Amino acid sequence: MHYPRYDYSAENELTIFEFDNIGNKGKITKIVQYTEMSVKGYFNLGFGDLDIATREINDGIVTNNGDGQKVLATVVSTVYAFTGKNPEAYIYATGSSESRTRLYRMGITNNLEELKKDFYVFGLRNDQVFEPFIIGEDYLGFLVTRKK
Amino acid sequence: MKVDELNKAKIPVVKINKKLEEFRGKVLFPKKLALANEMLSKAKLPIIEK
Repeated sequence: MHYPRYDYSAENELTIFEFDNIGNKGKITKIVQYTEMSVKGYFNLGFGDLDIATREINDGIVTNNGDGQKVLATVVSTVYAFTGKNPEAYIYATGSSESRTRLYRMGITNNLEELKKDFYVFGLRNDQVFEPFIIGEDYLGFLVTRKK
Repeated sequence: MKVDELNKAKIPVVKINKKLEEFRGKVLFPKKLALANEMLSKAKLPIIEK
């Protein structure tokens, strides 16, 4: 990955990751979780802020901490870690809002060349069909799975 | 592996964080999961020969 990223930690199963995002608003703790979906072998990527005081998660907040690219590169890196342990998994990600989905699209776009070396990368079109990810296209969600 | 190589690796050395065990088995993003399941239920999934 050619973008800088934060160090992160995880619980033993490598399904939940935590890292500290340090930017112009101070330190914000981020959580990434991979949760198995209704379709076997498919995992949803959840991503949000952890309130250290209450231990509650907020995935609706837009932090604007000034280093979104580094945050997204870190999230992408957790995909490598999760699929390193679960190589057959399909990871699906969509935003909690259109703006968040665009943010995910930007993260994939910025890391696409690197991602494509190791993953099949798809975008879900408005007509409910997945196609190989095309830069600049609007998608409802994104799907990646490891190449062998 | 040297430290420099470790830092450049695609999968960094993942530190184990015991505090995260409190979340194990919990769905932390239930609305997102429900939305994602709904979207996939309508979608034509890609067929990949691995």
